[in-house]
Amino acid sequence: MAADITKELSPLPDRTPEPAFSADELVWTAAEQEQMEVYKKRYPTNDGAIMRGLWLAQDKYGWLPPEVIRLVAETLEVPYAQVYGVATFYTQYFKERKGKYVLDVCTCFSCQVCGGYDMLHHLEEKLEIHVGETTEDGLFTLQEAECLGACGSAPMLQITNGSYLHNLTTKKLDTLIDGLREGKRVPFVSVTLPQDADDLDGNRRSDVKATDTYHAPPVAKTVK
Amino acid sequence: MPKVTIDGNVIEYEGREKLLQLCLDDGVELPHFCYHPSMSVPANCRQCLVEVGMPVKNRETGALEVDENGDPVIRFFPKLQTGCSMDVSDGMVVKTHRTSDLVKRAQKDNLEFLLVNHPLDCPICDQAGHCPLQIQAYKYGPEGSRFEFRKVKKPKRVKLGPRVMLDAERCINCTRCVRFTDEISKSHQLTIIARGVKNYPMTPPGMEFDDPYSMNTTDICPVGALTPANTRFQARQWEMAPTPSITTTNAKGANCFYWTRDNLIMKITPRQNLQVNEYWLPDEDRLVLDQFNNNRPEGPQVRADGGLQASTWDAATAAAADLLDAVDGSEILFVGSAYATVEDNYLLTKLASALGAATPVYLSHVETGHGDDWLRTDDRTPNTQGCERLGLTRTDAATLQAQLEEGAIKLVYVLEDDLVASGLAAGALDGVSVILHHYNTTNATLPAADVALPAAMVVETVGTFVSEDGHAQRVRPAKAIKGINRTLMMETGKSRTDMHGTPFDRWHNESHQVDCQPSWETLPAIAALLGHPMSYKGPKQIMAEVAANHDAFAGATYDAMGLEGVRLEEIGEAV
Repeated sequence: MAADITKELSPLPDRTPEPAFSADELVWTAAEQEQMEVYKKRYPTNDGAIMRGLWLAQDKYGWLPPEVIRLVAETLEVPYAQVYGVATFYTQYFKERKGKYVLDVCTCFSCQVCGGYDMLHHLEEKLEIHVGETTEDGLFTLQEAECLGACGSAPMLQITNGSYLHNLTTKKLDTLIDGLREGKRVPFVSVTLPQDADDLDGNRRSDVKATDTYHAPPVAKTVK
Repeated sequence: MPKVTIDGNVIEYEGREKLLQLCLDDGVELPHFCYHPSMSVPANCRQCLVEVGMPVKNRETGALEVDENGDPVIRFFPKLQTGCSMDVSDGMVVKTHRTSDLVKRAQKDNLEFLLVNHPLDCPICDQAGHCPLQIQAYKYGPEGSRFEFRKVKKPKRVKLGPRVMLDAERCINCTRCVRFTDEISKSHQLTIIARGVKNYPMTPPGMEFDDPYSMNTTDICPVGALTPANTRFQARQWEMAPTPSITTTNAKGANCFYWTRDNLIMKITPRQNLQVNEYWLPDEDRLVLDQFNNNRPEGPQVRADGGLQASTWDAATAAAADLLDAVDGSEILFVGSAYATVEDNYLLTKLASALGAATPVYLSHVETGHGDDWLRTDDRTPNTQGCERLGLTRTDAATLQAQLEEGAIKLVYVLEDDLVASGLAAGALDGVSVILHHYNTTNATLPAADVALPAAMVVETVGTFVSEDGHAQRVRPAKAIKGINRTLMMETGKSRTDMHGTPFDRWHNESHQVDCQPSWETLPAIAALLGHPMSYKGPKQIMAEVAANHDAFAGATYDAMGLEGVRLEEIGEAV
């Protein structure tokens, strides 16, 4: 049988994984504990705070192995299974160890026609990894993402669930990777929608100087 | 009373009801998967969609608007509504698939979606034959699928826990199993992981689905995604016949069906009884198939030439009568049993008093800490209350041993229990004659027995058990035994094709019949030989006599007990 037929699209998670963090590491600092209490008070029931709690834990540990998910569940006094279900639902919660910078290159419809895959392949070559993998130095993880809601500035990518990089070119990507290797984060760049440009005197936001003005979108190499 | 009109039929209702529940209560079939009457309503399967409308009221006067024929004008919701989450209100008009093409179409399309990634492996699926998805796809589904791509591959043959297997591809994500562990058993062991087409129920890493009630999820699973590990691939649904009865693993008297094929118990599933177990059955009640099918005795035995030799029923009862006749009544110890029915214990007390022996005792099998205040009890026997109400004396192995060591006892008559396995030293029975009614050849008292009389188990007999809560319930024979007994034949369910007709009929099946007798047949036979005839037509008459003579059993006649049992008056302190 062909390999792609037998390959499980949704494989069974490791049900008895080796813990990645020791019991000594699995404690909150006083400030984090206090923050969790704030989250708990914010919602009528504690399960409302699950997503906040997981986010805090991911900030602390970098990813969410089962023992961290269990720690969040115990802190919030909600069932472990429920927290695990939430964590597996969202791709932004990392269930396996990722690189320091997770590059989510959008290859959804708009980005695809504007060259999203070109950008992805360029990164694959530059980082010498396949999509879904992490570089050996543990610095970069390359991922394909579905629409991140910035079609107006396609193609784009997102860095570790955080800042966006718009209107990608291979040159921009090279600068980004080289910069990140030296620890330089990308500066914030605001994007103006074309229909707003005239009405709002170029930009509807207050940070006019940091604006990349609209230009004709690029076209993917494969689009004829 | 407020009224709802469903497909033109007016239904009266009381209180706050959900539309789907109202339909189910009223016998109006509405297809559904995720809804379960005892759990929260997620409305996620979308199968119970119906058209719902309300009569139009004039906003100023509040009067109902009428059309030219004088009928009230009904304004329907713009979209279809899920019946399970819809609160009914007075005057509501509902159109189901019987009257609405829109609903019919919605059900059909919804099933097409549910079947997109569902493997069509019904021929090898244990759920086939009683699968809501299969049934509803036949009744309401599309003729084929327009989906011509590869189906999503998901994990199969996953051992979720020691007793439940998961086939994730079959799952339609109704979340019944997750809600069961969250809301009913409260073990919180399951969750739906991932999302979209990739999701399925799973335990979190490091956790096993070992809930003592885990197998209930296999009953409520509307597809074959969760199946019991112990009965997987053992029998097809249509080969088995269900018999409504109760379980005897503990003193709760949970209602169940015994599923039989070729006179073997193939599986045990819960039977709804809102007074006792609602819809549920603990796992321990379902894992006792072995005791009914294996290590069963092959006819009565009598001690001769230093060993137990196979005998006939006539010879064995005569041997038992001879033993009883040879000693004085005061030298006989009658041991009743909390495993046996009220009828059997009652006949034993009658025999004891006829012979002038002391009131029978019974061994208590309480395992402190086993119970959980729900369907599992500390008491591991089904009929302690029945024995108490009959006036039997509770005892334990140590007391029995002391009594035997005094030496006054010459004969022990054991009804359906195992003294040695309960802690009595085997040596204590040396020099004492033992007459034993036993279920299994593994009975540890059997080596000491002089006459061994195989007794019918709960799945082969007719009788009454009284639960810890004083609920008297009767059992029916699920499998046939070797001997011919008119009562047992009449009580056997009509669904048993193998039980009807003559031995010359093609469907007649004698395989796996155990050569045993209900004790209510053996005891009168022995009593008759001793000159104390007990003439009963059957257990129904025995129970009628018990109910009439014992206040503690008032009202517990067979007709009154029916399928759901009778709650008896409380007596003193419960055991």
